[in-house]
Amino acid sequence: MMRRSLLGELTISISALVLILVCLFPFAWMALSSIKTLPELYTIPPHWLPDAPTLGNYATVLFNSNIPRYFLNSVIISVGSTALALLLAVFASYGFARFNFRGKRLFQSFVLVGQLLPTAAIIVPLFITLRYLGLVNTYWGLILVYTIITLPLSVWMLQSYFRAIPYELEEAAIMDGTSRVGVLFRIVLPLSLPGIVAVVVYAFVTTWNEFIFALCFATDSTVKTLPIGLAEFSTEFNTDWGGVMAASLVMTLPVALLFLSMQRLFVGGLTAGATKG
Amino acid sequence: MSRSYTGLVFILPAIIVLAMLIAYPVIYTGYLSVTDPQGALTTKNFVNVIRAPASLQAFLNLIYFVGGSIVFQVVLGTAAAILLNQSFYGRGIVRSITLIPWVVPGIVAATTWAWMFHTEFGIINYMLTGAGAIPAPIGWLTNKDTVMPVMIAINVWKLFPFVAVMVLAGLQSVPQELYEAARMDGANFWNEVRDIMLPQVRPVIVSVTLLLVIWGLNSITLIYAITRGGPANKTLITPILIFRLAFESFQFNQAAALSVLFFIVAAIIVAIYLRVSRSPEGA
Repeated sequence: MMRRSLLGELTISISALVLILVCLFPFAWMALSSIKTLPELYTIPPHWLPDAPTLGNYATVLFNSNIPRYFLNSVIISVGSTALALLLAVFASYGFARFNFRGKRLFQSFVLVGQLLPTAAIIVPLFITLRYLGLVNTYWGLILVYTIITLPLSVWMLQSYFRAIPYELEEAAIMDGTSRVGVLFRIVLPLSLPGIVAVVVYAFVTTWNEFIFALCFATDSTVKTLPIGLAEFSTEFNTDWGGVMAASLVMTLPVALLFLSMQRLFVGGLTAGATKG
Repeated sequence: MSRSYTGLVFILPAIIVLAMLIAYPVIYTGYLSVTDPQGALTTKNFVNVIRAPASLQAFLNLIYFVGGSIVFQVVLGTAAAILLNQSFYGRGIVRSITLIPWVVPGIVAATTWAWMFHTEFGIINYMLTGAGAIPAPIGWLTNKDTVMPVMIAINVWKLFPFVAVMVLAGLQSVPQELYEAARMDGANFWNEVRDIMLPQVRPVIVSVTLLLVIWGLNSITLIYAITRGGPANKTLITPILIFRLAFESFQFNQAAALSVLFFIVAAIIVAIYLRVSRSPEGA
């Protein structure tokens, strides 16, 4: 790097600070609001720091609301659909990456079109399909729906990882009599671990955060997920912004931690999928 | 021969699931859109949907929302990427922090910003009035002139990090020799941005913009959670209108007709975008 002038250094530092502030301020405000008492939240002008910090909002969220149950539902649905999407994507990506067959291009574009369809355009028929299958208000209903949301991009990302593995490695194993599936699980998967992690993080975060399908297909509190719970919380207790902020924080933590711990791998997988296509 | 068969077996499970839950529903939407609730063929659904003034308004609102968002997402995202590509102390942590808005659930972003934009108790009105930028608190989410710009601002905040990551990845693959050659010719920082960085990451920006267009046309969470389309339909966008038709008025057939129209228009927009971005004149 070229040596920068003092002015250049200053510009970079200030821009970086502004960037951090813009990205983090809403979370700081969320956290501060979540430990304020109700009267203090409704003070004009607002206080920056709480006068009497309280955990009361968290107590409300954890003991006097449906949030814990929704949290459990979200975990079950996200883990289930991530596992299913990963399983389907591993096989499909391997098929696309290593074999030539009739209609391959057609199937490939079919998978990608799924990603391009407007969500709103398939809600109604999907609802009718799920109702026909008896899957409205069940874990399986949302698990299947989320699988089809995340599957296309998962296949896309994994394919580029599989292609990057030298085929000679697989040929040697096949010569030794290993089956195709054996090759996939013993050679290809261990070598494409970063890709697998990228798909898992992508699928989990997407399903954890998803709102509109959950709103339509899970109307019973036994299957409702956290995003719905949060939306409910803000109408049910219309004035309880402290509770809403506490619930938001509870909901944000798992994805933020997962994402930040896997960030390097995830970003690598995402950008590999995009640039190598 | 056996190879072609094996490949199909590998992709088949995924294809079956997608066919069942995407292809079938799509075909069924087409069927619903041209029939009445009793199953008789009709064009009434399309006529009703096209005649309803809300349909056009929702579509124009959507274009405003998506167009306004994308301009700022791309400009700010690219600027952030250029910044994050410079070497400075603490760069790694700043890169991670930049990603956070993109990762958090949309509903969390919606509720947190709604609280910050609160007319009486919101921190934004407090800061702006305190700094003298506005004389009196503004009802950001209830005033029909400010509500859409606020939605766009929140959407930009949520998605510019995605642009930044992708463009940053593109910048990192720019060969160092290009910069060195430019410096030999006495190029300053802005010359480098204009003549090296932007042309080199143009393909990335093009594909990211396409994703932003598709996601934008799909967006519903943010606006639905904050305003449900109000006030006075000022933030009513097509996806919310479809949702309302189907799940609030239970007009499944009309919702299907609107879905079909929306799908066609979305496909045309994407096709035009692909055409423009691929042609060399589009640069």
